[in-house]
Amino acid sequence: MIERTFTITGRLGLHARAAAKLVRLTSEFQSDISLRRLDGSLTADAKSILSVLMLAASRGTELQACVEGVDEELAMNAIAELFADGFGEFEAEPSL
Amino acid sequence: MTQLPEEIRCQGLGVSEGIVIGQVLRMHDGTDPVYRWKIGRDKLEEELQRFRTAAQGASRQVLLLKEKAEQRFGKDHAYIFDAHLLLLEDKKLVSDIENYITTAQVNAEWAVKVVGDRLLYLYSQIKDEYLRERSADVDDVMQRLLIALSGGVPQDRSLSEDAVIVAQDLLPSAVANLDLEHARALATDSGGWTSHTAILARGVGIPAVVGLRDFFRLTRTGDRIIVDSSRNQVILHPSSDTLEQYAAETATYSNRRLASQTSETGPVRTTDGVELTLRANVEVPSEFEGVEKYGASGVGLYRSEFLLSRRGGLVSEAEQVEAYQKIARVAGAEGAVIRLFDLGGDNLGEQFQDGEKNPALGLRAIRFVLANEEIMRGQVRAILRAGADGNLKIVLPMVADPSDVKRARKIIDEEAAKLKAAGEPFGVVSVGAMIEVPSAVVLADNIARAVDFFELGTNDLVQYTLAVDRGNDEVAGWFRTLHPAVLRSINLSLQAATRAGIPAIVCGEMASTPAYVALLVGLGATQLSMTPSSIPRVRQTIAAIDSKNAKQIAAECLACDTADDVEELVRRRFIQYWPALFNSSNLPAFREN
Repeated sequence: MIERTFTITGRLGLHARAAAKLVRLTSEFQSDISLRRLDGSLTADAKSILSVLMLAASRGTELQACVEGVDEELAMNAIAELFADGFGEFEAEPSL
Repeated sequence: MTQLPEEIRCQGLGVSEGIVIGQVLRMHDGTDPVYRWKIGRDKLEEELQRFRTAAQGASRQVLLLKEKAEQRFGKDHAYIFDAHLLLLEDKKLVSDIENYITTAQVNAEWAVKVVGDRLLYLYSQIKDEYLRERSADVDDVMQRLLIALSGGVPQDRSLSEDAVIVAQDLLPSAVANLDLEHARALATDSGGWTSHTAILARGVGIPAVVGLRDFFRLTRTGDRIIVDSSRNQVILHPSSDTLEQYAAETATYSNRRLASQTSETGPVRTTDGVELTLRANVEVPSEFEGVEKYGASGVGLYRSEFLLSRRGGLVSEAEQVEAYQKIARVAGAEGAVIRLFDLGGDNLGEQFQDGEKNPALGLRAIRFVLANEEIMRGQVRAILRAGADGNLKIVLPMVADPSDVKRARKIIDEEAAKLKAAGEPFGVVSVGAMIEVPSAVVLADNIARAVDFFELGTNDLVQYTLAVDRGNDEVAGWFRTLHPAVLRSINLSLQAATRAGIPAIVCGEMASTPAYVALLVGLGATQLSMTPSSIPRVRQTIAAIDSKNAKQIAAECLACDTADDVEELVRRRFIQYWPALFNSSNLPAFREN
């Protein structure tokens, strides 16, 4: 099992579009992947968009990713890349 | 799941009598209500399959949308549809809905609604505003599922009978589309005694509590709820103690209701022999059976604009003829008064919309139909033709002076002459005027000479006399039915009718309320028209009062300076003269005191 902490940096937080990207990504791996809010007890299944959205992770929220399974390292690296990339979002006004 | 939610009591205004224990059915403006059906154990697998098929259909639609969006706006913007797609495929969401179908044995729509409402509720708890507002995505997906489900709904199911409709506000058009036969009660955040919700609830005879202010957001579809109009309250998540108490109460209540329903028919007399005729106000077809059931002497007011609101546009002459024939049959020998379309262009869709700044004072009612003569001629012809084998009358809404009557009469006479020339069967109808604006009151004697009867629309009369919009909460304190100016207007109109020797029917909501009825008797009213379910109660009231005391109280009220004085006087005198009928809790207009 690997654990790693990330901070949400996007202005709008982990909103629907970002969550969709995350879920699409995590679903490619076999490992179990969860996200936990460091400031509380909420834990989400990172492969369920509903679950991820319910984290209500706004900008500045710290999330601990926990990956366990045969491809855990690959998965964690991919997640780290997505966070580092700011979910591929431009800091433009939301259009939706 | 989690622990049982706590009982929540919320105070409003009971506007239609009764107590109901049921399940919340939340209604957003503009969306069709979802009903709950029981699914037999042997049909559950079929229902699950129906849900899965709908979910697949919804996914396919979203996929198409996504592709379109990608082409038009680029990949980044299409991601929102990806979120919707993921929601539709979400294991947790899908299993929650499927589990609900199986454990509660209900139809897929209901399960989608219940699970969706739960989610939306969780969303509403999110602190971050932007993330919270993304509940729109969940809402969107749920609507999509519901629409996909409505594609192949079997028609032969029986609806669950305990739906209590909860809404922020019920727009007339939404109410018109409601399957009121299967709603047990209504509870809304806004509204007052004379709101559309209240009038219709009384018409259909289901309990309603309105003015609950901030109740809607607390509810979720499927929550248990008690609507108790007699105590002006609703109870969400009632405790088992509360439920027990209410179960006992509703049992005795329904007995009482049954007894009051098997009422006599025909005119009713006060204890000192003054005779009053009680007629029915009707609008939606579900009210029709009430005319006979509650012993009404025909239909005193048929609000014909319902024919338009239901369809959101004009209705053909042939369809109108059919509708008016039906009303004539329902009304029987006593006949029915049909009010010409009482609406403005804003009710009829874009072709008639000119965005008036002040529609209440604008081109509406008689003015609108005179300005759109073809609409009026079509309606008049339909009424005349339906009058061939029924007793129908026409009443002109919002008449301001005799010239409105003369212009309308000319059109009615011309249409009758044309039908005669064409050899088509038709009936000669009498023509009345609604007295509901101040100029009509001032000129009541002049108008009385030009018509066959008066109808007093007290709701609008209050609104126009006091210049208070009854739908505006800000000025609710100025909307006083028992205002001396209103009572004097009624008095002047009734006297003018008597002088001219024509009948006058009081047909506003005033005629439905025992306390007001006693005053109307005092003012000399002899014909009242009201929502059918109110008739037994009004009948009991009239049979228990005497006109001599009523007249004396009315005279005192007419001399009052303010609405407060009138209300105080009424309260004191009514309890003094008729203690068996009135007490401080059954005088609905005086609850602020």
